[in-house]
Amino acid sequence: MREIARDLLESGQVNLVIGYGRGTGILRTTPVFIRKPSDAGQLVYNPLCGNNLVKYLLDQRNKEGRAAVCVKGCDSRAVNRLIQDRQIDREKVYIIGLPCGGILDPDRVEGAVDPGEEIKETVISGEGYDLITAAGKYSFTMAGAGSEKCSTCQNHNPVVYDVMAGDPSDTPDIKDDGFDDVRKIEEMTVEQKSAYWDRQFSRCLRCYACRNSCTACSCRECVFDQVNTGWVSRSSNLSENTAFHLIRAFHVAGRCVDCGECERVCPVGIPLRVLNRKILMDLKDLFNTATPGLTPDGERVLGQFSADDPEEFM
Amino acid sequence: MEKLFISRDSLKKLLDRLARNLNLVAPVKDPEGIIMFGPVADAGQVLLEYQNSTLPPKSFFFPQTERLFKFSYGQEGMALEDMCGSDKRVLFGVHPCDLKSILSLDPVFAGAYKDPYYINKRENSAIIGLACSNPSPGCFCATFGFGPDDGEGSDIMLTPSGKGFDADVLTDKGQEIVASYKDLFEKAGDSPRIAGETRLTVKKLDLTGIKELLDGNFELEYWNQVFEKCLGCGICTYVCPTCHCFDIYDSSKGGCDGERYRSWDSCMFTHFTMMAGGHNPRPSKKERVRNRFMHKLKYHIDRYGLAGCVGCGRCVKSCPVNIDIRRIISDLGEVSRNGQL
Repeated sequence: MREIARDLLESGQVNLVIGYGRGTGILRTTPVFIRKPSDAGQLVYNPLCGNNLVKYLLDQRNKEGRAAVCVKGCDSRAVNRLIQDRQIDREKVYIIGLPCGGILDPDRVEGAVDPGEEIKETVISGEGYDLITAAGKYSFTMAGAGSEKCSTCQNHNPVVYDVMAGDPSDTPDIKDDGFDDVRKIEEMTVEQKSAYWDRQFSRCLRCYACRNSCTACSCRECVFDQVNTGWVSRSSNLSENTAFHLIRAFHVAGRCVDCGECERVCPVGIPLRVLNRKILMDLKDLFNTATPGLTPDGERVLGQFSADDPEEFM
Repeated sequence: MEKLFISRDSLKKLLDRLARNLNLVAPVKDPEGIIMFGPVADAGQVLLEYQNSTLPPKSFFFPQTERLFKFSYGQEGMALEDMCGSDKRVLFGVHPCDLKSILSLDPVFAGAYKDPYYINKRENSAIIGLACSNPSPGCFCATFGFGPDDGEGSDIMLTPSGKGFDADVLTDKGQEIVASYKDLFEKAGDSPRIAGETRLTVKKLDLTGIKELLDGNFELEYWNQVFEKCLGCGICTYVCPTCHCFDIYDSSKGGCDGERYRSWDSCMFTHFTMMAGGHNPRPSKKERVRNRFMHKLKYHIDRYGLAGCVGCGRCVKSCPVNIDIRRIISDLGEVSRNGQL
């Protein structure tokens, strides 16, 4: 990955490489923006690289030159989606594919490791990872410490890339996502569902981290920032918060690639991914379609017109 | 100052009675495992040992959304209805960093400009502090000259000791509580205070030269290395116990009446400094990120002589892209020494 980045910058093929760098402490990595070949050594890749860096390509939209971005399988679907939406130009991005055996959840790793330590090496081991630090070896299984989203991963390798950094992951992809998380909520009674979501949304701070980290949120001006129009008020209460989350979920329907960033970034633990996955599940049922972004020229369920559409709801 | 002791059992009784007689607000864990301050009905839910709550208790003095007044317009002209006022309540279990943060907010809302909404809640609240017996790895309160057992800002400060808590009664409000429930308190014993040891585990960062650097340099090349990864969300400002920016709105559902409210705002949002004419003096993430750290490490000190950061570590934990104020502090220290990173 470092060699690829250095070569790309040295040869002038790209003028920027967006990747992961060492964060503060073992639990975190941080996005880095590499512009000099000599800085390529800052790049790291380990099972705590949770961020979807594709979001940053939107910042490069109107800039000169070509940017390279490091993507995991789930993130790569967002690249396809943004190309399909004409948000980014395929010619202006260079995609460094990263194989992934699953990402560890910092909250589930915390406590087991001294956070002040640094990862010296990561070894794939059985159903998880050994993190080697100066103090020794820490073993984690994906079942015990993995991110929830990785248990339904359908792309352990990127679906679109210009170059792969390393050998592809041989962790088997999940072919038939049972949407157990969605069904668990669907099994609740109406009253239980209402109480469940009321409890979640009443915690919402309206910090908009879910929106700002979302690759499907590419509007130049978000409707929730248009305070003067009166569509939605700035006050934070259950009613407004519910409106915010439901409008957002519907707005990204058919464009959400199920990367799970919204849920990862939420500071108050709102299970946002399941909201988007309910819509994803319905899209699959109704239109027999793949997860958005799975293929470069995939159909856009809610973004295309077909004369054969039965329009049975009209 | 009176030094008393309260056993664990007595403390539970105290909390039960406070919850019955007043409004009791305390740290509780919800089914999703999120720790927040909230109203409690009895001692059963109250956490007596916790690492910092996901959100600080500031919203009990400065709510995220606060109705200010109602207005209506009729034949008699404009009529206003004041909505200022709060019930008496006790805030229990506030850690030293959050106590300090309230002291940092006081001069903002109760200094030269008196904010009746804030002052009313402040006056009607008693605060029972709780020493931090298990500081989280992200904590760095020692940087700002206090530690996990510092009671300043509380009316009564509890510190784990022996089979209960030493209770330092620090103010008249604290005395009133003790007087009302004196059967539950005893004379302080000589068991060592447990939080004394945790003081040693909290990180102390070096602030040398940073204020001076920022005083002399509004523009620093360093900010170019920080801002690009910022997503521009409001997490850091909303989980921060000392951030206090708000905006004011009128809302009306049509007709001749409505209400005015204020809601937290965040300097990380694009619209924060947007002017009516369309000019934005902080046009990019760079200016916005710089502003946040300038506020924490310089402006608040300039204005009030108090640190704008209390080292609670909440922004450190919650920032989705790992913009870490501890790293910023050490980097700025480096810049002040060497002129660059």
